Amino acid sequence: MSDGPAPASALQEFRDNLLAVPGRIVATAFRSGRPVTDRARSSFVFGNVFLHLHAARTHRWSLRWATTAGLGIASVAAFLITLVTGVMLMFYYKPYTDVAYDSIKDIHFVVPTGRFMRNIHRWAANIMVVTVILHMARAFYTAAYRAPREFNWLIGLALLVTTLGLSFTGYLLPWDQLAYWAITIGANIAQSPREVTDAIGITATFDIGGLQRMLLLGSDIVGEEALIRFYLLHVMLLPLVIAALMAVHFWRVRKDGGLTKPADVNARMGPAPSDVYPVFSEMPAKTYHLAAVVKGRSPAVDGGPEQTVPSMPHLFYAELGVTMLTLFVCTALAMVSDAPLKELANPMVPENPAKAPWYFLGLQELVAFSAFMGGIGIPMIVLVGLGLIPYLDREREGTGDWCGGPGGWPLVQRSIAFGFSASLIVETIVIRYGWLREWFPDIPQLVITAVNPGTVITAIYAAYSLWLVRRYNSTRAGALGLFTCFLCGFVVLTVIGTYFRGPNWQFYWSPSDWPGH
Amino acid sequence: MAKNKWLLLVSSLGVLVLLVTAAVQENLLLEWQQIQAQARAEDGPIPVQLRQVVNPTLRTADRCVSCHVAMGPGEQAVTGPMMAAHRPVVHDPAEFGCTTCHGGQGRATTKIDAHGAAEFWPEPMLPPAMSEAGCGTCHTQADVPHRAAFNLAAATFARLDCASCHRVDGRGGTLRPDAGGMEGPDLSRVGIAGWNREWYAAHLAQAKSAVSGPWQSFRPIADDDRGRVDAFLATRVGAPRLMAAKSVFLSSGCLGCHKVNGVGGDEGPDLTRAGEKDPARLDYASVPGGRSLANWFRAHVRAPSTVVAGSLMPAMRMPDADVEALTFFTLSLRRRVVPGTYLPRDRMRVERFGAREFAADGTTLFGAFCAGCHGAEGEGRRAPGMKPFPAVAHPDFMSLASDALVAETIRRGRPGTRMRAWADGSTGLTDADVTALVQELRRMSGTRAPAESRPARWAKGDPAEGGRLFAGACSGCHGAKGEGSEAPALANPVLLEHATDTFFAETIKRGRPGTAMHGFAQPSTVHRALSDAEVEAIVSFIRTLGGRS
Repeated sequence: MSDGPAPASALQEFRDNLLAVPGRIVATAFRSGRPVTDRARSSFVFGNVFLHLHAARTHRWSLRWATTAGLGIASVAAFLITLVTGVMLMFYYKPYTDVAYDSIKDIHFVVPTGRFMRNIHRWAANIMVVTVILHMARAFYTAAYRAPREFNWLIGLALLVTTLGLSFTGYLLPWDQLAYWAITIGANIAQSPREVTDAIGITATFDIGGLQRMLLLGSDIVGEEALIRFYLLHVMLLPLVIAALMAVHFWRVRKDGGLTKPADVNARMGPAPSDVYPVFSEMPAKTYHLAAVVKGRSPAVDGGPEQTVPSMPHLFYAELGVTMLTLFVCTALAMVSDAPLKELANPMVPENPAKAPWYFLGLQELVAFSAFMGGIGIPMIVLVGLGLIPYLDREREGTGDWCGGPGGWPLVQRSIAFGFSASLIVETIVIRYGWLREWFPDIPQLVITAVNPGTVITAIYAAYSLWLVRRYNSTRAGALGLFTCFLCGFVVLTVIGTYFRGPNWQFYWSPSDWPGH
Repeated sequence: MAKNKWLLLVSSLGVLVLLVTAAVQENLLLEWQQIQAQARAEDGPIPVQLRQVVNPTLRTADRCVSCHVAMGPGEQAVTGPMMAAHRPVVHDPAEFGCTTCHGGQGRATTKIDAHGAAEFWPEPMLPPAMSEAGCGTCHTQADVPHRAAFNLAAATFARLDCASCHRVDGRGGTLRPDAGGMEGPDLSRVGIAGWNREWYAAHLAQAKSAVSGPWQSFRPIADDDRGRVDAFLATRVGAPRLMAAKSVFLSSGCLGCHKVNGVGGDEGPDLTRAGEKDPARLDYASVPGGRSLANWFRAHVRAPSTVVAGSLMPAMRMPDADVEALTFFTLSLRRRVVPGTYLPRDRMRVERFGAREFAADGTTLFGAFCAGCHGAEGEGRRAPGMKPFPAVAHPDFMSLASDALVAETIRRGRPGTRMRAWADGSTGLTDADVTALVQELRRMSGTRAPAESRPARWAKGDPAEGGRLFAGACSGCHGAKGEGSEAPALANPVLLEHATDTFFAETIKRGRPGTAMHGFAQPSTVHRALSDAEVEAIVSFIRTLGGRS
């Protein structure tokens, strides 16, 4: 404090310093002072380790609700909610087969607010799956995967897979009948390459399916080894992976200049309203020479900074708002609907029908014909197809607009109609008339592996998409059609698997028609 | 941008509202609080507070009295909806709590959790109609006899009209208008409290000196009937339904395969704590009705192998009332570990002094251990997929079999069949029990031990000749080496050691009417008659079977 009055003595100085400690701690913790001016706020965001992932200023386009619908933030919020409630559940949960079920019962019936926390955890996990899928759809329909964001799309796909993995590993932990048989199905799907290796007779030497199942379960059966594996994956490994991927995902969003914006965004937004604080009204306190050296251009090259507002508080209102909304939805659902807990897992009594978690029921619908195609083939085709989108569609038209690109919304509408009809027609044939096995009982399984409802629907969609590419002379049009069809097929198969399949995977209009127990 | 501000405000307020609602629901709107708010004591409303009966020795902390306030200690006067005082019982709820007898979750404070109506709950409350099954939590012994004796005792008590003066289990007892009470004492619990064994003499003396009133109607009672009255009184322990159920259990032969408190066979699961099974861990795929332990037991008794895949228990063909009784008794097998100060005398007699849990007469023993396989009357039994169980009380068998053969067969069993050795120290049957069983078989078959005029081994026939005859006439049912198939095994060490030659020879000659075993002294459509010499040769051959198959 060189500018203060000179202290009378060292003792006096000691006393003054002591009295100044609380103030100094605050001042040194938040070095930019109270964030009352725009510059101080920007500096605050810039200098805070938790906030600096945000740009100091945010484009007004990004704050429109229609731009993202807050789906990415909702996914993060759901993840954070599962994280907090999950840690709370870990205090009471015991991952051993003889006590796991009882500890969940304790959480549900004995631990104060335990049931509430478990319900929130369960709902947040499901909401996370939904928002992640919708977030992907948003990124696709606004063509946000285009340069320079191609690789971030791939990271997003990895996040989707990790999210499903987190949800799936959590499914086993209650160790009830629901969990046990869902995981049994999952493990059998992991083993499904045997369908192919059996058919060509190399299972004895090259048993990739058995190996996958063994890696997943750590044993031949769903037992203690599987439980501890799933527990470790659920509470440690996958959260670390997803946290790392999320960090990269956000970092790249930040480095790629925030959200995708249409080329003419500034013109569309019009002049900033009067309450938006004007840029550069204060003397700049920093130069951006270093950024210019590294990136070869100054940060303002992409557009006029006049359309930006300070991230603090404008972006933070939006982010916190979405976070609280997500929390509200999770809490409300947790209050009206309890997380399921069936009877203790009993390997002697198979559930019928045994169903995987809902987001895998579309696949399980396909697994009924070919475990390999339904469980591994089709998902791989879908993932590879999704991953290739940014590299195959390198057009610029329509970036940042919903359903942007040739064809636009009418094309998406037609694709919705086509996607639903194609999958519904194939499913109708399957349900009404059966499939190859019913028609030719002696047919080799390899033929069904190649020709089953899953591959047929996939082929129809692919052909439709190629036709769109030719018709509109645009890869974006093909991508729009294919992605829309994929979503429609996912919905149709998932709904049928969830609501219309009963014992022995027979079709029933309603569970009340199931043969009674 | 203001939109986002509003979003934050509204959603935050929404979360706050939800959390406050949850807090209010969990703290202020609880079922028991609302019930207590409507209750009234003599001097006005009662304080709304969590109430509980705690007994650290029994490890109970029962909050049931938070809703059932009037059942709590000193709260009988409380009135209101749901407020009924507990009926007077031996075990004061103020001391023993509620869950000790009724089961359920004492610490729970909602009806669903406390009564165990929650799905897949491991320890639900006992069904109200079966709450006497709760006695089995601590009590084990009761001198309950075989069902026929039990019913006869009850019928005798009724026939002698004892109930006109005495009250038993809430029935009977004449009210005297002048004295305002019963003529005789309430006998509902004399099985525990004891009764005057000289009651008959006392009654006679009183009747003799009476000049008026009901005493004049007392008539002399025969010795047999007095014994039955005593037997009836011994079972009056305040749980009439449980006693009746136990008498059914004791005549259904369950102990032949199942152990209860260390007594019984071990073909089937030990039933000592069957009433504490976790109902959530059972398979209800073929159980009609709701998912409850009682329903599971009912279905299981009727058709064991459809409920438990691979069960070797034969289906019990019995009337619904008996199924109900067995279910009821099985539910009562709860056998909690009880701290010493609360260990009931009856259980102490069983656990510390080796007393039988039930009457140890031959009829009861036969009913409890043997009737399951050999039939209630020893008539034998056939169950699908099992070798036929022999008719042990068949007079043709018993008139030839010596007591030693029968007793030794019970003691050492029949190796290779489901008849186990009952005296190997693990079944709880004593030598005295075996003797009682032999006497019972004599009584059932109406035979006496055969008088032996010849030595045990007299057959001097040619075993080779006997073997040839055996191969032609006997091996079809008894097996080429006497190992048995449709008919019992003969190459059986216990049989060969203790059966006399007379037993074999006479059985061959007379056959066993009612079974596939013909009398070979007479010709039939498929074989000629065997001469005495040929029979002797066969007996000699049987002796060479050596007891090893």
